Formats: sequence, structure tokens, C-alpha cells
Amino acid sequence: MKMIQLITGKVSKVPKIGKLTAIKYSLASIIVLLTACSATTINIEGSFPAPLVQKLPLTVGVYYDEAFINHSFIEINDNTGDDQYIINSGASQLELFNTMLPAVFEQVVQLDSLESASSMSDIDAVFVPAIEEFQVGLPQKTRLNVYEIWVKYNMRLAQSNGDYIADWVMTAYGKSPEETFQSVDAGINDAANVALRDLAASFTLGFSNIPEINEWLRSQNVMQE
Amino acid sequence: MRQLTLFNPSTFPVTAFVLPFLLFLCSCTTTEIDEFRQSSTSINNADETIVILGRRQNNNYETEQSFVGCVADVVSRGDNSITVVDEQEFLDAMFPFFEPRTAPMRTGHLEQLMSMDVAAERLDEFGIEYIVWLDGITERSEQSGSISCTIGPGGGGCFGFGTWQDDSNFEAEIWHLDSQSSVGSISTDANGQSYMPAVVIPIPLIARVEANACNGLGNQLKQFINGT
Repeated sequence: MKMIQLITGKVSKVPKIGKLTAIKYSLASIIVLLTACSATTINIEGSFPAPLVQKLPLTVGVYYDEAFINHSFIEINDNTGDDQYIINSGASQLELFNTMLPAVFEQVVQLDSLESASSMSDIDAVFVPAIEEFQVGLPQKTRLNVYEIWVKYNMRLAQSNGDYIADWVMTAYGKSPEETFQSVDAGINDAANVALRDLAASFTLGFSNIPEINEWLRSQNVMQE
Repeated sequence: MRQLTLFNPSTFPVTAFVLPFLLFLCSCTTTEIDEFRQSSTSINNADETIVILGRRQNNNYETEQSFVGCVADVVSRGDNSITVVDEQEFLDAMFPFFEPRTAPMRTGHLEQLMSMDVAAERLDEFGIEYIVWLDGITERSEQSGSISCTIGPGGGGCFGFGTWQDDSNFEAEIWHLDSQSSVGSISTDANGQSYMPAVVIPIPLIARVEANACNGLGNQLKQFINGT
């Protein structure tokens, strides 16, 4: 009953609700409205299995730059032009690479800077991943019953002295079906996890087949002719 | 002649309870199962297992993990039950060989997979005898009707009628790991009409289309692999 009177604007006529209560309701309404307008932050979370592949007998230094570690993507609301979703995937990207690389190479050393590699004589190569593009497909925009994530990576492999070995592009795609009562956060998170697994799958199975890398591996006697 | 009025106190029980009951009888599901056998099959339930995996390569849809889990549940229960390895456990253990981009699409690809020692050893550890690939989707169509609900100081209620049709189409392809060949396939097509009359409260009369497709496919799959 109190609520109905509040909605019809007759607060002052209700003896049981004082001015203070009315102010409280007003403030609560404003907070709710402000919350509704702000962007939703989604932190991608997930765990990834170690790939089941034969390790390459190499010691690889890996360098993650700040942009990679703190990678964040902002999805804009098409109608208002405001930020709609802020998707933080850096932590998951890091977890994926830290799981995947030790399964591919015999030894992996995380580097603080690219320059530090030159002082480490036991490092065979330095690997630097970077995210070039990140796209999100939401069911309300695409009219498909799936959440989609597409990521374009640039991978670089160099010798410890900085000499070029290979520079290649990889794409990852993941989708997750829209489910009843499922939150957008969960849908995006699931699709992102599928995309990250997709990257790990194509990286582990395709690494040695990249022409420049294949040639370098042969020169290092890691692969047979 | 007496007229049947919806809110006539004397006929209200008829409209509120008997009508939904009649509709419940109507909201049945029709399930059709086809089996195609290429080779004889058998399984030793003591040490051999199967894994049921969903196909997820299609752009427009992907086989739901819940449906795969449902079929696995049916196969691993009851008479002649078969040990089924959990799909996610298998995908994680075999990563990255059964991901949407890397999964074998034809039995010929199994040969390549088995040539890799790490993959062959892991499959052996699981005791996998058959790999079952499930591919399909449940689609909703012919949606019609409307239900409106109101709420006021004296209470609330809904009034209206909604109906829709669900159509489940799934196919299971069974691969024998040792012979690296397809031994057959089972397809299921289930459809049913659901109704939602609302007289004060909505009464969902849901046709259990996907559940029936799951039970039908699961039981047929169990018989197929057992060779009965």
C-alpha cells in the first residue's frame, strides 16, 4: 500500500512515511537508475587443460607486455553510444599461455623485459604474444542464439639477441548457446573460454607447421628433415 | 440449451481444470527413431567404455552439452548399461584433439590421431571402444497466442493462451576405435505441441520433446552398442 502511494506521488499525505523515508526512497531510486546506466564489467574466468602434445626440446623466454596483461575490451551500446560491457580478459589470457607454453616447450622462462633476454645465454627463443583485435557478438545484436567472441593475435618469435624468427597472425573463435535465465556475463565468459581453448588448440598443433618456424626448428636440429 | 460461460461459477471448474487436463492429453510428443547398422557391435562392460561427444562445428548452432549429458545418463543406467566417460573430462584429457576446430570429422582422421603416441595412450587409458558423435538441435516454431498478466492492490492474475511447437532432430554416429570405422548411425526426430492456458495462473502444459528424444536415442544407442 505504501508503495502505491509513493508511486502516485502522495507521500506527504501518508502519515507513517516521514520526509526522511521519502528522501531515502528517492536516493535509492537514483542509485538504481545510475547503476542501470553504467557499464557492466565482466572479468573472464576459466581454467584450461594442459595440451597433450610432445614437448619441443627448447628453452623459450616469454614476454607479456602491459597491454596484454591488462587486456580490456569495451563493447559500446549501439543506441546510446555509451559503454555497455567492459570485458577484462588479460588474466585469463595469461593463465592460458602459462598453461599452454610449458606443455609445448621443455622450459619456459617469463621475462620482465625484452632486453633481459639478451643476457640469458640458455634461451633459444623469445616469444611475444599480442592481441590485435577483440570482437564480441551478443544475441540481442546479432539475432543469433549464441554469444560469440573473436580474437586476433599477433605472435612474434625472435632469437635471444632479437633477431627475427617468425611473426604470424592467429585467430580464435568461441561461441556459447544462449540459455534461458542465463546472464550476459555467463554467456560472454563461456564464449571467451571456448575462444581461448580454440587458440591453444591451433597454437599447439600448428606451431611447428608455420614455415619460418619449421625452417628454424630444422636449423636447430629440433625437427628432422 | 445451456451455454458454457468461462467465469460462470457452476462451469468454472470445467474451464479451469478439465480443459487443461484435456490439453495435457493433447500435448504429446511424437518420436521417430531410425537405425542404420554397418557392422556388428559388442562391448565388454568390465573394462571397455564409450564416450559421447557433441558436434560443435556448425555456425548456426551447436549440440547442447546438456543433451549430450542426458543421452550419456540414459546409456549408463538401467539394464545392459554401458560405462560412459564424461564429455568434459574426456575433452580436457584429450585436449587439443577434440576441440571444435581440431576434432576428427571422418573416421580417416582417427588414423592420424592414433598415430600420435600421446593421444593413443590416453585413449587406451580411458578404455574407449566406441566414440559416439551427437549432432542436432531443438527448434521452436509455430508460436502463437498471448498471455497478459495484471497486478493491483487487490491481487493479480493472468489471462490468455499460448502455444508453440518444439522439434528435436539429432543424429548419433558411432565410430569403432579399434577398426577406425563407422559402425552405424541412429537418428531421432521428436516433435510436440506445448500449451500454456492462463486462467488467473498460467498452467504450463509442456511437451517433453527433447527429453523424449534423449530417452529414445539413449535407449536405442545402448541396444545398438550391446549388439542386442
